[in-house]
Amino acid sequence: MDEPRDDIDTWLETRVTPLQPHPGTFEQIRRRARRRKAGRAALTAAGAVVVLAGAITVPRLILNGPVGSTPVAQQGPTTPAQRSSTGPGKTTGTGTPRPDHKTAAPTTAAPPPVPPNFAASSVTFVSPYTGWVIGQAGTPGHCGPPKAYDCTSVAITNDRGRTWHGSPAPVTGAPNGGTGAGQIRSLDGVSAWAFGPQLYATHDGGHTWTHIPTHGMRVTDLETVAGIVYAVWAKCASTGADFAAGCTTFSLYSSPAGHDNWSPVPGATGLQASGGAPGSAQLVLTGASGYLMAPGGQLIGGPVTRPASWRTVTTAAGIPAPLPCPPGASETGGHPLQAMLASTGPGLVLLCAGQASGNQQAKTLYYSADGGRSWSPAGSAPARGIAMSLSGTPTGPVLVATSDGIAFSTNAPGASGALTWRNARGATAVGGYTYVGMTTSLQGVAVPANVNLNGVWFTYDGGAHWAESPVR
Amino acid sequence: MGTFRTSDRLAAEELFHACYPRLAGWIRRLVDDDDTAHEIASEAFTRLLARWSSLDNPQSYLYMIATNLIRDHWRKVGRERRALRAVSATIPAESVHHPAQDVDVRALIQGLPDRLRQPFLLHYYAGFPIRDVAEMLGRPEGTVKADLHHARARLRAVLGEAHG
Repeated sequence: MDEPRDDIDTWLETRVTPLQPHPGTFEQIRRRARRRKAGRAALTAAGAVVVLAGAITVPRLILNGPVGSTPVAQQGPTTPAQRSSTGPGKTTGTGTPRPDHKTAAPTTAAPPPVPPNFAASSVTFVSPYTGWVIGQAGTPGHCGPPKAYDCTSVAITNDRGRTWHGSPAPVTGAPNGGTGAGQIRSLDGVSAWAFGPQLYATHDGGHTWTHIPTHGMRVTDLETVAGIVYAVWAKCASTGADFAAGCTTFSLYSSPAGHDNWSPVPGATGLQASGGAPGSAQLVLTGASGYLMAPGGQLIGGPVTRPASWRTVTTAAGIPAPLPCPPGASETGGHPLQAMLASTGPGLVLLCAGQASGNQQAKTLYYSADGGRSWSPAGSAPARGIAMSLSGTPTGPVLVATSDGIAFSTNAPGASGALTWRNARGATAVGGYTYVGMTTSLQGVAVPANVNLNGVWFTYDGGAHWAESPVR
Repeated sequence: MGTFRTSDRLAAEELFHACYPRLAGWIRRLVDDDDTAHEIASEAFTRLLARWSSLDNPQSYLYMIATNLIRDHWRKVGRERRALRAVSATIPAESVHHPAQDVDVRALIQGLPDRLRQPFLLHYYAGFPIRDVAEMLGRPEGTVKADLHHARARLRAVLGEAHG
């Protein structure tokens, strides 16, 4: 984090603020494109020479890169080793027939339905409209013949959760020791990763998934930004659903987002908790920098706009900057239970969770405006509920998901001192929420802890009100 | 020929919803106002959809188109400003509002030759790996790396002069 910086870096690393289209933009674009296409066809038919006089430099078209949202029938074949299922037409874990690449009708297929009994375990949004959820679906024991473990499913929405459709999923089960996948992240709706503990990648909008070998290590966290994907690979020994409970050594790996070429990130490997005890780690990426909360309680950071070494964050005196609390053990999804890190506004926020007493738990927050070099107290979140997930927002307010519901701050941490909290309305899932994340300052999504609930929850007002979106 | 197949339409709409906000935001930091950013983003998507069936990597194509449209916009604005200055000596050279933090570096990037500006924006700013940028521009990876190095060196030198 002490690399020499200049105005160019500052400019490049400033987060791009998405600009939402005006209503009807897509239809307008589609009509314009259709007219141009028709005009070009007419000119061609007349034998005219089409000259795009000084319009643009027409780029060379890429014929061998990753395929974007192109129709399935146009995709080239992949080798059996690359495919996550054993062949075309095989029923995937979603219970949705995978399109046969040789015989599928290319034009009229409606999106497949979401398989029954979909229980979401993780969600990722690439825009306010488009999000993917991963979870388990189907009838337990009857999800994918002949093995009962082919139950992992993926569903996609393109309209902010109003409707969902099924999508091919990695052929694996729920997290169980070293196998399964229960978490998902997508960069752009084309490249996405399913992980925890196994790692799968798609680069064609989810049509095909490739298993990524991790050399016996388990992937406990993964985030992607700016064309690079980062993941925490850990050496673990636990069995059962709590796949990250016995992890002792953590390393950060990265790959270009467009293809699978994973390698360790120098400066962020072989990380252990004090005395080699089981621990946890958490990865947070901003538009410019990445931070790894290491099991030993230190913060490691580096740039994310280019491949580079990461370094322990140090104080002004040059010594490692201690976090206000160590991450401790992991929860079922792989994230730390005692400390939760998130980026918010221009800074970082850390929640230190105390010992739970019944349904009460002290939750002390800290804020850092200098990339983790120093931390200042930011008050406490409501004591009710056990903290499960922390989220920041582009404008600064913070949200906490607990076993009791969701609480949100009405102000941003920083000069204003302590955060002021309110309990969200409508976040009524019994058992609370394991994840909360904000796509924009107003729109966010939460995943319920109760696997019998077949939906995810949305807010469109910064976290004050939430409503269920059934995934079906 | 003039109609979009259902599956194409769904795929294009999905790409639009996934990519438009970020693309428009990306453009916004390189132009002067939201309207221009929307105009360029819409034009890029229009050209993309008009060629949809022949594309294998729509997202790369989208950013390439946008990069070229931004360049055209800069040239047009430059011509207009020069023309305005010619008829009125009272109009200051930089009368158009820019977000303050963007002006210096953006102006310098505008001043880079095409050969260096394109890979700079596509790699450092849009986040495409060097290999992808090389494919987009039809240049060897080594050439792209050298161009990126030269672009940064040139920007640093000018910044150094400006601040020194």
